[in-house]
This record gives sequence, C-alpha cells and structure tokens, in this order.
Amino acid sequence: MIEFDNLAYSYRSGEYKALDHISLTIRQGDWVSIIGHNGSGKSTLVKILMGILEDYEGTIRVGGEVLNDENRAELRKRFAIVFQNPDNQFVGATVEDDVAFGLENNGVPREEMVRRTEAALEAVNMLSYRNHEPSRLSGGQKQRVAIASALAMAPDVLILDEATSMIDPEGRREVLDILQKIHGEGRTTLIYITHDLSEIEQSDHAVVMREGRIISKGTVEEIYQDTDALIASRLVLPFHMKVSKRLLGGEYMSYDELVKRL
Amino acid sequence: MLSKMLLGRYIPGSSIIHQLDPRAKILAVVMFMAIVFFANHWTGYGLLILFIITLTKMAGLSLRFLFNGLKLILILLLFTFFMHLFFTKGGTVLIDGGFFTIESEGVINGIYITIRLAMLVLITTIMTLTTSPLQLTDAIERICRPLKAIRVPVHEIALMMSISLRFIPTLMDETEKIIKAQSARGSTFMTGSLKSRLQALTPIFIPLFISSFKRAEELAIAMEVRGYQGEEGRTYYRVLNWQFRDTAALIMMIIFGIILWMIRQ
Repeated sequence: MIEFDNLAYSYRSGEYKALDHISLTIRQGDWVSIIGHNGSGKSTLVKILMGILEDYEGTIRVGGEVLNDENRAELRKRFAIVFQNPDNQFVGATVEDDVAFGLENNGVPREEMVRRTEAALEAVNMLSYRNHEPSRLSGGQKQRVAIASALAMAPDVLILDEATSMIDPEGRREVLDILQKIHGEGRTTLIYITHDLSEIEQSDHAVVMREGRIISKGTVEEIYQDTDALIASRLVLPFHMKVSKRLLGGEYMSYDELVKRL
Repeated sequence: MLSKMLLGRYIPGSSIIHQLDPRAKILAVVMFMAIVFFANHWTGYGLLILFIITLTKMAGLSLRFLFNGLKLILILLLFTFFMHLFFTKGGTVLIDGGFFTIESEGVINGIYITIRLAMLVLITTIMTLTTSPLQLTDAIERICRPLKAIRVPVHEIALMMSISLRFIPTLMDETEKIIKAQSARGSTFMTGSLKSRLQALTPIFIPLFISSFKRAEELAIAMEVRGYQGEEGRTYYRVLNWQFRDTAALIMMIIFGIILWMIRQ
C-alpha cells in the first residue's frame, strides 16, 4: 500500500505548485490510472515516489513505512518504472542485456539472473527477440522490453509514466494487453499515468489531476460519469463518450452498450 | 561507398574464428603485431601471407570480399611503398633520375613493409569482422581489469563504450530525421563551397546536441531507478567462456611466431 499524505512540491521556490497538497492511497494489487493534461503534476508525483525529486512537503508511506533519506534506496527496489521514450531507457546493447541490467546492479547471481531474464521476456512475448538490438525493434516492442526489464526486478509496484504516448496504436494495444495479464496475476500494483482517457478503461481506479490537485477519484465508471470535470481538466473524451453525451445525455456507457442502445 | 567499408564492421557467422573467445582473439592479434616483425626475407613474408589466407578461409570470409573492403586504405599502403622506394638506399642503382635514385634495397624494403602493414590491417579486420563490438568491449574490460590497481576506471570506460555502441543507431536515425526536417525547410547540404557546406551543418548539429543532452539525462534517471550504483556489488550477465580451443589458438600463434623467428636470416 502506498499513501501520499498532504504532498506538495514546487519546481522553483514560490508561486506555482507542481503538486498542491495531495492525499491519495493506492492499495496493493490495484491498477490505478492517474490522468491529467500536461503540467497537471502526474509525473511529478511519480518522480517524488521514485526519489528522483527531493525536498517535498508532506509524507509518503510505503507499506506503512515513511519514506525518508535512509530507506529510499531500499524502498526504491520495490518499484519499477517504464518511461515515455522507449529509446532513452534502453541501457543494454541487446534486449536480454537490457533486461539483465537492473539485476546486475542488484548483484543477483548469474544463474538466477538468466532465469529471471528469460521469464520476464516470456511474460511480454519477447523471448525470441532476446539477441536483437534495440534499434531494430518497433516502438511497441521496445516498450514491452522496458516492461520486461521492470518485471525482472520483481517489483511490488510497476509504474508506467506515459509509456504508450510515443508509440503507435498497435503497440499501445500490445502494452495494455500485457498490463492486463500482469494485473490478472494480482501480485503487482500498477500505476498508469496517461493523458488519454481511452486508456484507463481496464484500470480499477482512476485519479484525475489538474494543476497539481486531485479533481476527482473513483472507479473508472465514476470518473467517466463526470464528463464536465474531465472537459474542465482539458482532457479529450473518447469518441464513443462524445457520441453518448451528445445523443443520450450525460450518462456513461461503454462502447458496446452504446452500440446496443443506438 | 560507406557500406563497402569493412573497418569496424561485424558479420555474424558460426565459423571457428567466430566462436573463439574475444579475449583470445585480441591477445592473438597483439601477438601477431610482434610476430610480423620477425619476418625479414621472402620465406618469412610468404608464410605471413599464407597464414592470413588460412585465417580468412577459417573465418568463412572470401579473400576478394576482404580486399574489396580494404581499397580505402590502399592509399596508405601505396604511400608507404613509395616512401621506401625513394628514400631507402642500398644495393644496386636501378634507375638514376638525376635528383632521385631508385635502388634495389628500396624496392625490396618497400614491398616488405607494405606487406607487413597490409597483414596487420587484415588480421585486425578479420578480428572485427568475426567479433561483435559488444564482445570486444567485454573482452577489453576483462583484459584491462588489472589496470584497476593503478586506478584506471575500467568498468566505467567499458560501460561508456557499450552505451555509445547502443546509441550509435539511435543517433544516426535522429540525424537523418533532422536532415530531412531541415531540407524540408529549404536547407541545402550538398551544394556550394566547402565553407558554406560546413556552415550548413550547424542547423543539424545543434538540434542533435540538444536532444542528446536530453537523452543523456533521461538515460541517467532510468539507470538510477534501476539501481545502478557503479561497479560495487554488481554481477555480470554476460560471461566469457575460455575454452580449450582458445588456449590452442594462442599456442598455435606462439608456434607460428617461433617458426618465423627460426627461419629469419
């Protein structure tokens, strides 16, 4: 469980707050989407959690333990993150080298390392590409490798920071399918950061952020109901939601339901 | 033109030379660099050429392919040859052109030195053609490990090399994209004087530098969150496996050296 309590952060001292006193609880095993337009503070939240940004106000508890300077390195091992640009997080010269990189850093014995690397690549259907160079992979494949690299670390929490925003729709679907599978196993908490409302359907909970504040949170359906808040947060409604809003009033319905009603 | 160049390229394969431990290959090349100087008459140089031909065949490469790739350094070889031709004196005078003379020693020396140079270039080319850059980096790291005693940051240098190798294709793609983007805005890179062509490169390099810095920063963050803390407490995924054939290869190289030493005059 991760608890953010009254978290605040500014990039430059003074007026504008990237995070404005946020409180949020994320349960173990949940898939939580954090949605917001650029500059809403969603990535800042993650950077603080990963210990990339320091000097914040408020407290973060991970499994009941308050995050501080002493336990940061240790707690960080429970998190793994996939960033936006697939090219800039690839350290290894080949797919399997990259997956093994984090394990090498943590001093995992070689035999276990080989086993975990293979298992992680298998989980994202990339085992047959193990000797490929990253430059010869598609965007979706690169992000799947990045997920494998994260999974190899056996994290409690897997964070995806706009991980699909730079890849094509097909690659995006592949990534979401894999997340669905990971979520189905129930061990890993997923924190999915995006500005695309159509990507949150599979998550358990969603949090809408704007200008460093949480505008609304709840189940995906609850979030979808409140279209006005979404529009006010400068988010683009998925096409079927626009249709149902215009034709049938505000009530949320899934794509299939809408088709049936029409 | 560039695609024909063989220097620094790697051609995957499964020959015995491909399978040798990269450390064995590097050590063998270093030995060969010394052995080349043992030869001092026709038999010795003949043996050197024969040795390289055998090696090429063992690596599953064709000789013509290898020589084609070497055309670029032909100028260097010719330059060496002519330097010796004109400036090494001794033996009988073959041509007396007044202000210069060509003497027999010069011709023979020119041929010898050119063969030496060509053999050195060929053996290193065979090594890089049969060994992936990644393997070479690994091998250099392992061979240089003792240098840590004199505070050479061997691990860091090897990591830098492997990250550079990893980013070469990424930056090539990026350069191409920038060139296209600038061409679409009316820049020309292929015409005009040398000076104006060099100036035209500025709008390519500046965006490239800026994006490289951004990449570097993101990569550093990605490495840090994946627990990179330098060499301490680190284990290695890729291991090099020294086998009997690697020892055998080095012994053969030593024997070849001894033979050349014994037949020298």
